[in-house]
Amino acid sequence: MKRRALLLGLAVGWLAPAWAAHEHGAPGQPRDLKGVWEKSLARPALAVGVAFDARGRLWRARVENRQLWISRSDDAGKTFTSPVAVNREPERIAADGENWPKLAFGKNGELYVSWTQSLDQPFSGNVRFARSFDDGRSFGTPLTVNDNTDIISHRFDSLLVDGRGRVWLAWLDKRDASAARQRGERYTGAALYYAVSDDRGVSFAPNRKLADHSCECCRIALARDADGTPVAFWRHVFGRNTRDHALARLDNAAALQRVSHEQWAVDACPHHGPALGISAGGVLHLAWYSGAEKRRGLFYAFSRDRGQTFSAPLAFGHPDAQAGHPQVLALGVRVALAWKEFDGQQTVIRVQQSHDDGRTFTQPVTLATSTSASDHPLLVSDGTRVLLSWNSAAEGHRLVPLSGDSP
Amino acid sequence: MMPATRATLVLLALLAGAAAQAAELKPFVAGSMQQIRAAHVGRPFVLALWSLTCSHCQEELAQLGALQRRHPQLNVVLISTDTVEDAEALTATLARHGLARAETWVYADAFAERLRFEVDPRWGGELPRTYLFDRAHAVTAHSGALAPAELERWAVMSLAPKATP
Repeated sequence: MKRRALLLGLAVGWLAPAWAAHEHGAPGQPRDLKGVWEKSLARPALAVGVAFDARGRLWRARVENRQLWISRSDDAGKTFTSPVAVNREPERIAADGENWPKLAFGKNGELYVSWTQSLDQPFSGNVRFARSFDDGRSFGTPLTVNDNTDIISHRFDSLLVDGRGRVWLAWLDKRDASAARQRGERYTGAALYYAVSDDRGVSFAPNRKLADHSCECCRIALARDADGTPVAFWRHVFGRNTRDHALARLDNAAALQRVSHEQWAVDACPHHGPALGISAGGVLHLAWYSGAEKRRGLFYAFSRDRGQTFSAPLAFGHPDAQAGHPQVLALGVRVALAWKEFDGQQTVIRVQQSHDDGRTFTQPVTLATSTSASDHPLLVSDGTRVLLSWNSAAEGHRLVPLSGDSP
Repeated sequence: MMPATRATLVLLALLAGAAAQAAELKPFVAGSMQQIRAAHVGRPFVLALWSLTCSHCQEELAQLGALQRRHPQLNVVLISTDTVEDAEALTATLARHGLARAETWVYADAFAERLRFEVDPRWGGELPRTYLFDRAHAVTAHSGALAPAELERWAVMSLAPKATP
């Protein structure tokens, strides 16, 4: 036995340089990462996007066989029309936790969709966009919105239509990190880029950078302020590796505002992005996750001065039950929070609501459960009701009205 | 003639040894965490969760490989959150970091929430995630790559002979 261990020690020492010599790609990455990436892309996609249009019709986007499929429900999710493919040419579409297909609507019945296309190299992708001007019956040829087309990461897209009907896309972009690496310099995290279209998504203005040093793999929350301006809320890297949250308006006027101070200093990828809802009265409602040892869990805060100051963060969810992946939706003075927990046996979607603009919240209730792999929860509203949209492997896609809302 | 044959035999023995010692990947399912704790009762061990798709995990594995070389008697238990179909890539990566002999597991249930809960209900899923179990299995948790000095200090302390009261 001892002899075998010795032989092994020799073998490992002898083989190690051979492995090192065959190393390709970025330093520190396993040499066979490409195969792992390809296998991961071949797995069934759980992430589903939904949104209500101005007429109260619910649209759903899901990914199957390298195509994005759009269908519509006129009865809040009980029945759906047969799906229409957005991309005629199949492509790999990211549809896991932090990447899901997005839907938005123009002022004159335009339907917009965006998604992240996965490319050949591990973690590389493009931000893709398509529009329909005939009520979802057909879609124009998809555009790639990122104007840097290196095979690097342009992923975690977020889509929004502003008060003037302009179409905005924001995403996490590694072009600056990649350029820095080529110069032999260090660059922390990714950058937050955006692009805007003022011709109903036919074309987009050149990409602009909102901020350097975002976290690499957490979704961006985008919401429309009361004056119509898009506001972004995301996990940022402050200093060397403190992964707390930042807010900025996409009007080039305001600087980045730090929102959270849990001081989560970590050399890791949380895959755990925040949520933002803005009421018609202009109150910002924010929810996020932190893994800081002393401040671990979910937090909620509001801002009544358009993001200048924030309320003291309110902890919610059960930190001993993996509370995570929060959603926040504001409807007048009503605020709904939804998140995921695991109770030891099953995954549960928990909900808390406020009827006084976020000052007080009801006790949490369980709205849905699953005993299989599941997507993150989404909250959607038709302007009157609030519904949970949630997909899970065993139970399928569900739309569940929150308590107090009619089915 | 003779030396050449002998060299070939030694080479074959080395390769056979390496193959036989290639990390055996155990499927990590509901109940596996309990099994790991029970198997190491009364002994300190390092439990590290990692993934092929996490770049900071490579730093962590390098640290653990170095730790294992310095303290061969320390048990290192690795759990990959990838899938069983990544087995080849997993064993190759561990071998590259000198961790071919470590106890290695891989997530074998798509219901990852359950597996994560059994490891630690408070863990948000960020990687790498490390748990330092002392002799009495009091646990120190850490997210992100561990500082080498911190890891070494813990190893020396936890491997020191038990003080008698």
